[in-house]
Amino acid sequence: MELTVNGKGYTLDVPGEERLLWVLRDWLGLTGTKFGCGIGICGACTVHVNGAAVRSCLMPLAAVAGADIRTIEGLAATDDSGTIRLHPVQQAFVDHQVPQCGWCMSGQIMQAASFLTQNPQPTEEETVRAMSANYCRCGCYVRIRQAVQQAAGMAGGEEVGT
Amino acid sequence: MTRERDGYDPVEAREASADGESGDGGAEGAEPVRSTKRRWRLTRRGFLIGLGAAGAGLAVGAFFGRPVLNEIMAESMAEAEHAGSSFMQLPDDPPLWLEVLEDSSIRLSLTKVEMGQGVHTSIAQIAVEELGISWDDLVVEQADTSSRLVDGMGTGGSFSVATSYGSLRRAAAGMRSLLQREAAVVLERPEAALRVAGRGFAVADSPESKVDFYSLAGAVTSWDLPEEETLQLKATDEFTVVGQPVARIDIPDKVTGQAVYGYDMRAPNMLYGAVARPPTLEAKLVHASAGEAAAMEGVEEIVIDVENGFAGVAANSRSAAWSAVKAMETEWDEGHLWQQEEIEALIEPAGEGGITIQREGNAAGVLRRETAITATYRSPFAVQAPLEAPAALADVQDGQVTVWVSTQSHERAKGLIAEALGVEADTVRVVPTYLGGGFGAKLDTGVAVEAARLSRAAGVPVHVGWDRTEAMLHGYLRPPTKSVLSGALDGNGRIAAMEHRQGSSDVAFSFMPAFMEMVMGADFGATVGARIDYDVPNRTVTAWRKKLPVWTGWWRGLGLFANTFAVESFIDELAAEVGADPLQFRLDHLPDSPAGGRKRAVLEAVAELSGWGTAPPAGRARGIACFGSNTVVAQVAEVSVDEGSGEITVHRVDCAVDCGLVVNPDGAKAQIEGNVMWGVGSTLIEQAYVKDGRLELNNFESYPLLTMRDAPDVRSVLVDTGIKTPYGMGEPPIGPVGAAIGNAFTAATGRRVRTLPMTPARVLEALAGGGP
Repeated sequence: MELTVNGKGYTLDVPGEERLLWVLRDWLGLTGTKFGCGIGICGACTVHVNGAAVRSCLMPLAAVAGADIRTIEGLAATDDSGTIRLHPVQQAFVDHQVPQCGWCMSGQIMQAASFLTQNPQPTEEETVRAMSANYCRCGCYVRIRQAVQQAAGMAGGEEVGT
Repeated sequence: MTRERDGYDPVEAREASADGESGDGGAEGAEPVRSTKRRWRLTRRGFLIGLGAAGAGLAVGAFFGRPVLNEIMAESMAEAEHAGSSFMQLPDDPPLWLEVLEDSSIRLSLTKVEMGQGVHTSIAQIAVEELGISWDDLVVEQADTSSRLVDGMGTGGSFSVATSYGSLRRAAAGMRSLLQREAAVVLERPEAALRVAGRGFAVADSPESKVDFYSLAGAVTSWDLPEEETLQLKATDEFTVVGQPVARIDIPDKVTGQAVYGYDMRAPNMLYGAVARPPTLEAKLVHASAGEAAAMEGVEEIVIDVENGFAGVAANSRSAAWSAVKAMETEWDEGHLWQQEEIEALIEPAGEGGITIQREGNAAGVLRRETAITATYRSPFAVQAPLEAPAALADVQDGQVTVWVSTQSHERAKGLIAEALGVEADTVRVVPTYLGGGFGAKLDTGVAVEAARLSRAAGVPVHVGWDRTEAMLHGYLRPPTKSVLSGALDGNGRIAAMEHRQGSSDVAFSFMPAFMEMVMGADFGATVGARIDYDVPNRTVTAWRKKLPVWTGWWRGLGLFANTFAVESFIDELAAEVGADPLQFRLDHLPDSPAGGRKRAVLEAVAELSGWGTAPPAGRARGIACFGSNTVVAQVAEVSVDEGSGEITVHRVDCAVDCGLVVNPDGAKAQIEGNVMWGVGSTLIEQAYVKDGRLELNNFESYPLLTMRDAPDVRSVLVDTGIKTPYGMGEPPIGPVGAAIGNAFTAATGRRVRTLPMTPARVLEALAGGGP
């Protein structure tokens, strides 16, 4: 099975019905993508499949064969000198000191990054709608909303997606 | 500032352990063996509440009788709430906290775990402040059970900063002072002529004359704290780091996916474990066999121990383990199949066994004579539901047990593992990772035991991560409560008498030895927030401990949320009876005491913040509520009610909090915001029930959480009333949320919902004039 994750190609000998979440975490060691519920409700496992936000806990590996996957580990850009430049959403989450426990944050950030690609200048209401299917048990919702709105401003209408 | 990740890597961690044992660890190697001088600063009550002082407590009981003892204990525990008593202060020996590393940076080892409350950052601020070094010269490390600082308290109760602050200040100031003494010798100048410069000391008027911390540390022969008068603690008004909104040190790793939690732990050759779960509340395993699991692909090990109720499997993938455990053949004695109605009948605050925890005057007598108002408030079972389910990696090899686990108490986990495996505790090392939420759920981490049992059988590291359904069903829950409040008013609009009869199942008592139950009488966890702290001449609070077939225990704020909902809703009901403004009614009943003064300050602050007394926006109404332990909180909720659908919308919650000295104001505000969301979720949504012998829980479809759509705005102010030490912040702000929302609901509709959560069905029932 061929898979591209964060720009790197993999050939995997994994059953096709295995969920993408466990392939990323347990086979590839990319544990930044989190398990929350396993039934697509909480959003902690959100990754990008060909740029779209997807719940990896529900996605069978066979369904994403050959796809371009991006996870939280591959969201920041690394320039030629090896310096990591955070994605605007990540930077906004740092600026607003958003995460508490952090377990849901990879999913929140991947959801927000994908949303802002489709809607670079959202109203606050649109942001709330787009982010309301991602649980944050610590209750960081006020800051998540502010940070996503800020990230939209930071992106200045440019492409902020992957 | 850097954060060491060494402790999270199984291989490196083992090496680090070996180094530590040889005593060859930088400055530590030069440290002489010394006796631990304990500086007990005991108050009478501090003495009484110490676990080791239970015998003394019993002696008091023998002289005065158990009711008096139980009342004293309850008062002591209320005084210790969210600040700890002097007995609980961590030790202040510098080497237990701090070590000078070879590059002259200073390492701070913390027994407290980071679960999102920002505690690693705020405790680091205290160390940096007193060491006088710059932020970048401190390294923060998570301590584990191999640390010489044995922290039996774990991380909870909002105690971490409060019980570290004084000790760590002294340890850090002491280390600085001892290093400075050596620097004076090396630089041949008086100590007063020196100052901290980078990672060493320099002569103030000739900065090129300097010496680094590491060479100084090698020369220190005793790390005993200097005498009190030479231990120069900074004056709090000279603080430059404590009190600042320092950026959290764990956040960069949490936005890039680099932070490692218990569920993320990996090791070479590891397997994945899963364990069979009882199908009912009372189920006992009577028979188990491998069944079809034996032949399933990927299954490496099957462990069956019927006597201890254990049947588990280790496989080469998590999916294989989860499938295999379902294919095992297990037979259970299901026990009594409990129904919710039976549970509710049990929680009645009446009959034998009530323990009076507060008594002044003769409330019962006044309530019999006067016209009494009575109201009953209820709260349901609730789940902590940290988003990271329980998880641990265990490696049992060569007589050594090492476990990496998402835990709020690595010391407790160590004890449980040693007991389950039948090994000496000193062969067990438990390393806490980051926690993907705790909220009390991870003070008891059975998953660590499961991973250890499977690893011992398999001979390789085994990771056990629960799925969401296991996490919902097989931990402990917030207990259901029933509070019956009665009150009588005099002719001047004042409360003449008030009584609170409270029924709850166990919180703290679920985890304590039986003799402590006799000393304490009432479960301090179940009763937190139940006291009547207003100036009422006749008042009684009595708690009934009810045994339920459901395991109940720690949950954010313990009983605080449910008890404050009851007491503060009832205060509004009394205010309404005399037509008083709810804010003014509270102010009028504050005791003339320092505690009363602090509560006045937060009530007045939240009134100003919320515009109390001005008209709310059209269609909305406001409600107020407060709570005070050491930390004092007042809140105003602004809500609207859709009388067609029965839906309550909480638009905003304003909060004023006095938590004593604030170490990190942004972190404190983040805790307020989180607590408000918890309170709103518990007021409007969260509930769990028993049906046919099991909890009616499965995954988030049966226990939805609050989402951003329903999240209110939160505004907060931190009120300074001149307290010079920090109190707790992780839980107190959850207290008033339910009552503030309920009081606002009543202001909007003239009706009241006294049973939580305030679901649309209950709201519609109340609007139609029904409900309890």
